[in-house]
Amino acid sequence: MTKRPLTLEIKGNSLDDGPGIRSVIFFKGCPLSCSWCHNPESKKREVEISFDSEVCVGSHTCIDVCPKSALSFDNPFFIDRDSCDLCFECVEQCPSGALESVGHEMQVEEIVRTVVKDKPFFDSSNGGVTFSGGEPTLNMAFLAESAKGLKEQGIHVLIETSGQFNYDKFNALVYPYVDLIYFDIKLIDKELHRKYCGPTNTTILNNFKKLQQQYLAGGVKILPRTPLVPNITDTPGNLTAIASFYKEQGVTTTQLMAYHPMWQEKNLKLGIQSFLGENSCMDKWMPNQRVKECGETFTSMGIQVI
Amino acid sequence: MINTMTRNNIKVTANTNRNYLNHLTNWTLKLIASQLNLRPSLRNKLKNTDGWINFCIGMKTETGSMEQAIVFQDGHVSVLKYIPEHADATMRFINDDVLKEAAKITPNELLHLILNNQIILDGNMAYLQAFNFFVSLILGKRYKKMMEKANRLEIESKEQKYVPQDPSISKDLNDRKNSGLSTDIMDSGVRYLDEPYLSKYQLDSFPQAKKLYDLHTSTQPEISSERPVLLTQWYRTHGFETDNNGNPWVPELRQAHAFKYLMENKKAIIRPDSLIAGTICPEQVSVVIYPDTVGTMIWGELGSINDRLLAPYKISDQTAKDLHDLFPFWAKKTTRAWINKTHNYPFCQRVDERYVASFNFKTVSMSHTVPDLPRFVNDGTLAMIEEVLQEIRILEIQQTEVLDTLEQAEIVDKLNTLESMKLCLEGLNTYAENLAKEAHCLAAKETDPKRKEELNQLYEICQHVPMNPSRNLDEAVNSAWISWIGLIMENTNVSLSPGRLDQLFQPYFEKDMAELSTKDERQNYVEHAIELISCYILRNAEHHALVPDVSNYLFGGSQSQTAITVGGVTRKGKDAVNDMTYIFLKVTEILSINDPNMNARFKLGVNSDTYLKRLCEVNYITVATPSMHNDDAVIEAFKQNSDDIEDLRDWASTGCVEVTLSGKHMSHTGATSVNMVAGLEMALNNGYHPLMDWHLGPKTGRVEKHDFKTFDDFFEAFAVQQKFVIDNTVQLNNMAGEAYSYLRPTPLLSTAIQGAVSNAKDVTKGGAHYNTSGSFNIGLSDVVDSLMVIKKLVFDEQRISFPELKEAIDTNFENNVSLHAMVSRKVPRFGSGCDESVDMANRVTSLIHGCYKAHKNFRGGDYTVGFWSVAQHVAYGSLSGALPSGRLAGKAFTPGLTPDASASKSFLDNMRDVAKLDPKNMDNNIAFNVKLVPAANETRENIVNTMHAYVKTYFEQGGMQIQFNMVNSDVLKDAMANPENYKNLLVRISGYNAYFVSLNSDMQTELIERAEYGF
Repeated sequence: MTKRPLTLEIKGNSLDDGPGIRSVIFFKGCPLSCSWCHNPESKKREVEISFDSEVCVGSHTCIDVCPKSALSFDNPFFIDRDSCDLCFECVEQCPSGALESVGHEMQVEEIVRTVVKDKPFFDSSNGGVTFSGGEPTLNMAFLAESAKGLKEQGIHVLIETSGQFNYDKFNALVYPYVDLIYFDIKLIDKELHRKYCGPTNTTILNNFKKLQQQYLAGGVKILPRTPLVPNITDTPGNLTAIASFYKEQGVTTTQLMAYHPMWQEKNLKLGIQSFLGENSCMDKWMPNQRVKECGETFTSMGIQVI
Repeated sequence: MINTMTRNNIKVTANTNRNYLNHLTNWTLKLIASQLNLRPSLRNKLKNTDGWINFCIGMKTETGSMEQAIVFQDGHVSVLKYIPEHADATMRFINDDVLKEAAKITPNELLHLILNNQIILDGNMAYLQAFNFFVSLILGKRYKKMMEKANRLEIESKEQKYVPQDPSISKDLNDRKNSGLSTDIMDSGVRYLDEPYLSKYQLDSFPQAKKLYDLHTSTQPEISSERPVLLTQWYRTHGFETDNNGNPWVPELRQAHAFKYLMENKKAIIRPDSLIAGTICPEQVSVVIYPDTVGTMIWGELGSINDRLLAPYKISDQTAKDLHDLFPFWAKKTTRAWINKTHNYPFCQRVDERYVASFNFKTVSMSHTVPDLPRFVNDGTLAMIEEVLQEIRILEIQQTEVLDTLEQAEIVDKLNTLESMKLCLEGLNTYAENLAKEAHCLAAKETDPKRKEELNQLYEICQHVPMNPSRNLDEAVNSAWISWIGLIMENTNVSLSPGRLDQLFQPYFEKDMAELSTKDERQNYVEHAIELISCYILRNAEHHALVPDVSNYLFGGSQSQTAITVGGVTRKGKDAVNDMTYIFLKVTEILSINDPNMNARFKLGVNSDTYLKRLCEVNYITVATPSMHNDDAVIEAFKQNSDDIEDLRDWASTGCVEVTLSGKHMSHTGATSVNMVAGLEMALNNGYHPLMDWHLGPKTGRVEKHDFKTFDDFFEAFAVQQKFVIDNTVQLNNMAGEAYSYLRPTPLLSTAIQGAVSNAKDVTKGGAHYNTSGSFNIGLSDVVDSLMVIKKLVFDEQRISFPELKEAIDTNFENNVSLHAMVSRKVPRFGSGCDESVDMANRVTSLIHGCYKAHKNFRGGDYTVGFWSVAQHVAYGSLSGALPSGRLAGKAFTPGLTPDASASKSFLDNMRDVAKLDPKNMDNNIAFNVKLVPAANETRENIVNTMHAYVKTYFEQGGMQIQFNMVNSDVLKDAMANPENYKNLLVRISGYNAYFVSLNSDMQTELIERAEYGF
C-alpha cells in the first residue's frame, strides 16, 4: 500500500495555477525550506494546528478542554506548541473554526471524486488539475496514482514542482500522466540556494536539464518559473544567471511571479516567527513596475516572459 | 392588545389611559386646523374643481393614551377627540415614544417608522397622503430645512462608512469601453455585418445618439401631469362610475373613450436630433402618473419631492397644482381603495399593508407582459381594426339569430369590448397623424438641410405607420415606438416589455441592406441602424415609473423595467441570433444605461460561442448587463403552462427576468412578492410575527415547549405558515385583478395580445390565449440555510437544543457568540456543493410551487413561481429578525436565490448548486447574481474566455439564469464615498439594473457585502 501524504486543501476555481479553470491540490511537506515560502503550512509533512485570531469569537471552549493547558490568550501565538501534543480536542470543540487541524489524509479515489465534480468547468475552459504543495513529488507513488486516476477521467494534469526529486522515479511513475510541468528555478548560485532554500540546487538544475531535453524531443511541456523575492531572487546577478542558463537549455518562455507578503499572516497562525532579516521590501507587495524591470533581463536575451 | 375592529370598545378602554399626549396632539391638530381654516391661501387648497375635499383621518396610540381625529368637511377643518366610524384612514402609533418621535421628524423619516411597523396605517392611503400634503403646506419650510439636514447627515455617513480608496480605482471602469474584442466568426443568421462585435464603434461615433445620451444623463426626471389631466378632464365631463344619463359605464368603453381623448389631445412632440417621432410625455425625462394605482401616493410629497435624497423629481408649480386638483377625484378610485371598499378591508389587505410578509404589486401595475408588437409593426393598426370589425360583423349576425336573453347580453358585452378596442386603435392613429403634422411643421421651419430631410422623412413615416405595414427599418422602429406610447398611456409604465426586438427588426434591416449596392452604402446603413436603435433605446429610457419615497426603500433605483430580449431560437427552433442581435448588444454597450433592461437568451447546441462571448464582454464593459438565460432550462420550467413548443420557443423576458410567451400571454409576471422568511419566523413563533407584533398565522406549535419532535414536524409547521402567507397574497391579488377589470380594463393592450379579439374579452378579464400571474419569492438561501441549521445541529447531530437556538435568535445572538459562530460555520450552506443543502432547497421550492399551484387567478389562469427579489431582499431583510442561519436582525437577505457569501470559496460550487435546482418549481424564473472581479492585469480575451466558460458550463449543468456585477467592493466603497465620480456606474440588484449612486444606504451596503469572486 502507498503511504499517503497529507493533503492541505483542494482549491476549486483557481485561475492562477495553469491554463483555464483548475482545481489545485496542495500536498503537505517539502524538501526545501525557502525563507519566503508563501505556503508555510505546507513545509512540514506532519499534521499541524493553526489558530486564526480574526475568526475566534473568544468562547474559551478550547482553553477549557485542553488537557495540556497549552492555550492562552496571554500567548501572542495562543498555542504553546511545546506543550501541545496535537490531540485536537480543542479543534473538535471550537465553535467558530478559528482552530483548525492542518493537513488530512485523503485517498486517491476521494481526491478524484472531489475534483471530478468540476470537470465540466475544466472542459469548457481548457483547464484541469494542478498538483502543488509543498512538493507534490515528495510521495512519488501517491502522486503517480492520483495523476493516473485523473488522466483516466480525461482531466488535464499539471505539476508545480521545486524540482527537488528523484528523476528516475519521477520519469518512470509520474511523467506518463502529466500534461504540463511548472518548474521553479529560484537561485542559480549554489551557496545562496543553500542559504535561503536549504539544500543546494544541483539536483534541481540537473532535473530541469533532463526534463527540458525530453520536452525538446517531443515530451511533456515544461515551463520554468521564478518567484521574484526582493533582494534574494530578484537581483540582477541571479536573474541574468537564470536567463543564461535558459539560453543554454533552449528555453524560450518563462514566467515571473511577483512577491507578496501574505505568507507572514499564515506563519502567525502556525506559531512561526517570520524571518525577514534586514529586508524591508518583504513587508510589501512587489510593484508592477519592478516585475516589469525584472522581465526585461529575460526579454533582452530573447526569452519571452508570460 | 387592542383590536381595531371594535372601535366602541376602544373608546371605553382608552379613555382611562389618556395622558398629556392626548392634549398635545389635540392642540397640534387644532393648530393645523385653524391655519387651514383661517389663512385664505391655505383654505383655497381645501377645494378642487369638483368642490370641497372631504375626508377624515384618525390617529391614536395602541396604549390608548391618545385618540384624535381631524375632519375635512365642506371647507372647514375640525378636530375630534375620538375616531369616527367613517374615518377614511387611521394612524396607529404602537406606543407613546413612537408618537413623540413622529412629531419631531421629517416625513421621510416617518416612512421608516411605518415600514418598521412602529406606526400602522389602516384605510385609504390616498387620504393619509392628502393629510400629509396639508401638513406640509404649514410645515413646508421647516420640513425643507429638516430634510436638508437629514440628507446632509446621510451623505456624510455614507462618506464615512468606508475608508476612501485610491481615486484611480474608477479609471478601470471607464477604460473598459475603450477597447473591445472583434471576431471574424459569423453566426448563420448574421447576413450583413462584416464584424459582428462592431468593435470599431464607440458612442462618439454617433453624434446624434451622443447628444441625446448627454441630454438624457444630465436631465433630472420631471413629474408630468399631461396624462392624468387629460384623462380626468374626460371623466369629469362624461362620468366614471356612471355616464351622463346615470347609467353605469361599461368599463371597457369608458376607458376607450377616455384613452381616445387622451391620444387626440396629447401633445405631439418630435425631439431635436431624434430619428424617432413621439414622446411618452412633454417633459424631457418624465415621470408618468397613474392616479388610479400609485399616483396619489405622492400627494404628500408634492411640495418636497424635488428635495428628497433618493430619486428627486422636478415638479413645476402648475403640475403640483394640477395633481392636487385631480387627486381628490381619484382618491376613492384607486386599486387599493376599491378592494378596501368592495371587500370591506379584507384581512389579506391588512397583512399586505404591513409590508412585512408580502407585497401585492398588482395594485401598482399589472403591465408585466410582452404585447404583440409585431402585429403593429408588420400588419398595422388598420388591419387590426379590420380584424375587430370582422368579429363585430359576425357577432351582429349572431345577435339577430339568438333569442336567449342571457346570450344576447353576452353578445352585447362582446360588442362593447370590441368597440372599445376599435376606439383605442383609432385614438392611436390620430396621435400618429398629429405627429405627422408636427413633423411637417418642424420641417418647414428647419434650416439645417440634413435635419430638414430627416423631418420630412418622419412626416412620411408617421403618415404611414403604425396604420399600415412598415416598409423599412425606420418605419418599423417608429411604428414600434408610436404603438408603445399608446400602450404606456393605457398601461402603467412598470415592466411592460417589448420582447424580441432583434427578431422584429431583422427582416426590415435585411430588406433595406439588400437594396444597397456598394460596400460604403452598406457600412453607412449599419451606422444608421446603430444610431436609430440608440435613439429608440433612449426614447424608452426617457420615462420613469413613479417612485413614491416609500418605494425608494422597497424598490430603490428601479426604473420602468422595459425588458428587451435578444437571441435564442426562432419559433421553428433555428438559431435566432442575427445582425440586429449584435446591433442591440452594441447599443447596450455604448449607452450602458440602466433601463431598458437587456436580456439575452442562449440555446445550447444552437447559439454560437461567438455570441455567448459577446454577451460576456458586454456584461464586463457595462459592469452589469445583459442578463443571460438558458433556453433549455427556461422552457423546461415553463412547459407546465403551455404545450405548444413554438409558443414556448417564442418566450421573452418581462420586467426583470420573467417569462412571457410573446404576444399571446397576459402574464402579469410581477404580481406579488412573498417574504419567505416571514413564514419561517411565524413557524418559529407559533404563528406570531415578532416585528409586526401580530399573531396572524395559524398556531403550529411552540419551540419552547418542545412541540417539534423531528425536523419534519418543524418543516410541516413552516409549510403551514408559508401556505397561509401565500393563500392571503393570492386572495388579495385576485381581488386586485377584479379591481382592474372594473377600474382599468385595457382595450388597446387587448388588441395586442392574441386571443382577446377573437374572444371579444378584455385581457384584464381573461381574454388572452394564456393567462398567468407571477409570484416572486424572496429569501430562499436564508431560509434553506436556516432550515439546514435546525436539521443538522438540533435534530441530526443534537449539538444544541431547539429552545436554546430559539433563545439565541430572539436575542439576535447577542448573548451567545459561540452559537452564532457554530450556526454560521458548521453547517453546509446552499451553494457549498453539499447535496443535502440542495435537496433542502428543492424541498422548499417544491413546497412554494405547490402552494401557488393550488390557486387560480382572477382570469382563470395559474400562478407561476419565481425566485428573484427586485430589491426587496434588502427591505424585507430590514423587517426580519435574526435567523437560525446566523443572519442577524435587519440585515439584507441574499439577492434572488444567490447563495450566501460564506457558502463556499469556490464560485463553481455556487453555480453547480443553483444549476441543480429543479426548474419545474421555478416557472417564473430566478435571479442568480454574482460579483465577479477579474485580476487587474488580465487581458480582455482571458476575461471573456473565463466568463464564457463559467456561463456555458453553468447552462450545461442546467442553470437557468445568471448575471454578473463586474466590479469589486473597493470600487463600490469608493462610489459610496465619492458618488460624483461614479454617476453612471451600473449595478445589478436582483433582476434589474440601477445606478449605484441612486441607491439607499442599505442597498449599497448589501451590494458591497455580496459574495465576491476574483479571477
